Amino acid sequence: MNDRDLVFHATAIKRHAPSAAIAALAGLPEDVARAELEAAVAAGRVFEAKGAYALTPLAGVALQARYARHFAALRGDAGFVGAYEGFERINVTLKQIITDWQTLDVGGAKIANDHRDKAHDAAVIDRLGGLHEQAEPILTRLSGKLPRLRYYADKLLAALEASEDGDHEWVSDIRRDSYHTVWFELHEELLRIMGREREE
Amino acid sequence: MASWTILLDGGRIPDRAVIGGKAWSIARMAALGLDVPPAFVISTKACLAYLENGDFPAGLVEEVEQGIIWLEDRAGRGFGAGDKRLLLSVRSGAAISMPGMMDTVLNLGIDDAGEASLASETGLPDFARDTHRRFLELYSAIVLKAPVELERDGDPAHWRAVIADAGGEAPGDVRSQLLGAIRAVFESWNTRRARRYREHNNIPHDMGTAVTVQAMVFGNLDEHSGTGVLFSRNPLAGEPVPYGEYLPRAQGEDVVSGKFTPLSLDAMRDHAPRAHGELLAASELLERENGDVQDIEFTVQSGRLYLLQSRSAKRAPAAAVRIAVDMVAEGRIDPETALSRVSAEQVATLLLPRLAGGAADGAEIVAQGEGACPGVASGVLVADADEAERRAAAGEAVILVRATTSPDDVHGMIAAKGVVTEQGGSTSHAAVVSRALGRPCVVGVGVGAVARAGQVVTIDGAAGKVYAGALPTERPREADDAQLARLIEWARARSAVKVVLPEDAPAGEGIDVDLLLSEGSLEGLDDALAGQVSVRGSGLANPEIARAARRAGVMTMITEPVLPALLVTLES
Repeated sequence: MNDRDLVFHATAIKRHAPSAAIAALAGLPEDVARAELEAAVAAGRVFEAKGAYALTPLAGVALQARYARHFAALRGDAGFVGAYEGFERINVTLKQIITDWQTLDVGGAKIANDHRDKAHDAAVIDRLGGLHEQAEPILTRLSGKLPRLRYYADKLLAALEASEDGDHEWVSDIRRDSYHTVWFELHEELLRIMGREREE
Repeated sequence: MASWTILLDGGRIPDRAVIGGKAWSIARMAALGLDVPPAFVISTKACLAYLENGDFPAGLVEEVEQGIIWLEDRAGRGFGAGDKRLLLSVRSGAAISMPGMMDTVLNLGIDDAGEASLASETGLPDFARDTHRRFLELYSAIVLKAPVELERDGDPAHWRAVIADAGGEAPGDVRSQLLGAIRAVFESWNTRRARRYREHNNIPHDMGTAVTVQAMVFGNLDEHSGTGVLFSRNPLAGEPVPYGEYLPRAQGEDVVSGKFTPLSLDAMRDHAPRAHGELLAASELLERENGDVQDIEFTVQSGRLYLLQSRSAKRAPAAAVRIAVDMVAEGRIDPETALSRVSAEQVATLLLPRLAGGAADGAEIVAQGEGACPGVASGVLVADADEAERRAAAGEAVILVRATTSPDDVHGMIAAKGVVTEQGGSTSHAAVVSRALGRPCVVGVGVGAVARAGQVVTIDGAAGKVYAGALPTERPREADDAQLARLIEWARARSAVKVVLPEDAPAGEGIDVDLLLSEGSLEGLDDALAGQVSVRGSGLANPEIARAARRAGVMTMITEPVLPALLVTLES
């Protein structure tokens, strides 16, 4: 992908993010990303509000149409596809772990986790660490084919370690690059690369 | 005289630092005269010696062998021999529970001949095969670090080949399996995560972990066997009545699998009367000993009750309040302890708005699914995240409705009062994000909901229902609830901070936290509150905001309800 499409792609995944976050995901210097964003705003392809950017609907559709060309090689690469399928398998476990983080099973009923049971929280973060160890080789295989994806491995590890250090907002807080946030961005990225639809 | 291992025979309770938390709780139950499956423990000293030498210290293997002989004798079963096999669970157990340590390996001791013995003993060849599979899966994941998924309809030779392909090798002989598991526990002391955890929490690296080796008991042996869980009180509503379920002819994993329909405790009385009586007596004893409601796992093997674990039970907010107040009345705990067992978040949850009494009667249910995040919200259904954000910014109450959600929809979810999806269950993206945001959410209502965009609805995120129209809601009053009123009284007597209702405070007293929040952000709140003596506002009913006020050192909070804020002022 050229710089412009990289910036569009990162903007699509990181909706309503400032230019620094978009540049980091796109793997571009921030001034390059900002210049692309400003040009896109001037051309009516991206709108900006309070320093955060989002693609216009038409620009989003056009980007989707270009994915088939950009990612044709990866879609046909058995190694990449195998790693992607590995990600989808452990994605099921990740969603269960995050659910167990947010809820407590009390006598067969689910209630919200108020994070008072330190042993429960520690056990869930432990499982997240175990899952991360399964994710690492997959991420290595993915970024072996597309180096830009290393971004996700670094972000996930940073969120995991912050969670392990007791700052529990890094598990699933929606307003920061928590483990869950980054994981879902990665899932979105892989779906776009593969040209697949999200399934629940 | 043993020096590396300790038999947990109900005699003295060894030091927790030497035997770890798990063995300690087994020893404690055994010392109370309760039946636990026989177990011995390899001490933390043995772990340290192993880590120093890189191998088992002299005498350890022999002592483990003696421990096995003792278990065989206690269980009346043979380890790797005979027609009644002894299977083991092997677990790590440091004095402090710690991430990254080896988990439990169950069913250790099964091999091809053992599978055949188990099949003939239980009359359940499928179960014996599955027990073998579960063991191999656990062993390869946990001990060999070569996780594999073994097909249920495979056979052991094929499974071993799969494990070999994944780079592992499961020893055929049961003694090598046991030593391999013990080695894995010892080595798990030094995993990246365990080391990191210790460094972060200032836990010394030279404590080591113990290894608990316990006989498995069979809840699926015969008609007089089963397994279950018991709460010494109801953990949902809090009534002081044992609550639980029993699965006849089943093992512990079957309880969670959902494959079996459990029986009530009353039905257990008909099924296993002696074990039922002993279980209720054990429940009372453990609750009294521990001074808190207990969550007890148990197995009945041929009519004999075994307790597997007892710990303080998790409880729903209503139960937390009722149990705390009841236990003070019963003289089991003092008011301080009662207050420490109810969180500000739990009380805030109890006081959330709910559908007004009778409001749902006769209301049209337009969609129904799984309740993924509790709470009630009304608004107009909007099918597009951008539109939801725009209309919410213009002051409209919107409910985002999507087939499924993706990161593309998060800004719309933040703007909406609630979320509805056509597809997905409690682990779907929509459910996960809604819970993170505290938005009422109903998932999996089926196709057709998105087409209702434009309609005004009320969603009940606990019941999983979507009603037509904006139904009336009400906010429960804390003073009307006798138990909450008790907690308020106890908390007021102990809090250094005054928390009062707006009608009991002089008009105009205190800086308005609601105003600060509407102008600034939660992050800026600490600075804005610095140096304030008195604060007011409904925001203080939110525990996070009350904590910010407490950090600022305020002496008076003016808000309603008062109890969440009061509990925050008592937090240590």
